[in-house]
Amino acid sequence: MKDNTKILTIITYVVLLSSVSILLNDMREFDFNQFKEFQNWAKAANKNDSWFTSKNAIQWSYYTISAGLFFWRGCLIYGFSYFLSILKEIENGNYFSDKNIKYFKKIGNIFIWYTVNVLILRFLLAAINKSSFNFFNELKAEFTFLIPAGLAFFILAEIFKRAKDTEEENELTI
Amino acid sequence: MLAKRKMRSNELAEIIDITPANLSILKSGKAKAVRFSTLEAICKALDCQPADILEYVED
Repeated sequence: MKDNTKILTIITYVVLLSSVSILLNDMREFDFNQFKEFQNWAKAANKNDSWFTSKNAIQWSYYTISAGLFFWRGCLIYGFSYFLSILKEIENGNYFSDKNIKYFKKIGNIFIWYTVNVLILRFLLAAINKSSFNFFNELKAEFTFLIPAGLAFFILAEIFKRAKDTEEENELTI
Repeated sequence: MLAKRKMRSNELAEIIDITPANLSILKSGKAKAVRFSTLEAICKALDCQPADILEYVED
């Protein structure tokens, strides 16, 4: 069991580090200088002009949404880091601990919120670019599988809660 | 019952093969359940009936 935990910990570290490096690389490739251009425009812009209809505002929204997508990807990676905490608890022999139940719920929450928010942000991005957004096509995308995965973690949390009660009852049966 | 038989808790725990900590849980009433095998061992060690060691107390 301990060997399996070690293998799982190594795999989780590999997944975490790859996800972080991919995210950092994407952020590096993203042109943040556009924000500076926007700031310059904001300073020089005519205050009487309609803000929302201007091209710069649309561009600003695009970059804000992109930043939001980066943020949620960061959150997802943070969610992955809970796997390490769960594995550490298992390694210590605390299988059905309160901490594990809490971590499962947190992972479930992060997975579901990530999918919902990324869907919303992609919709907004499509609206800004005036491209078509097909909700069902988006639902077919790989990342939406995180919703059932999130639900599975909530179910696991409930099972672990019941298991913890049973374990306690068993320990108090003399 | 232990006092009647002039027996110490640790001795009883050793006879019925449970830890003194578990016997303490039993004595304090914190236990959620008692196995028939444990009850049988206690009755055998103390030479008594289950009714002699069990008592119903309303909450």
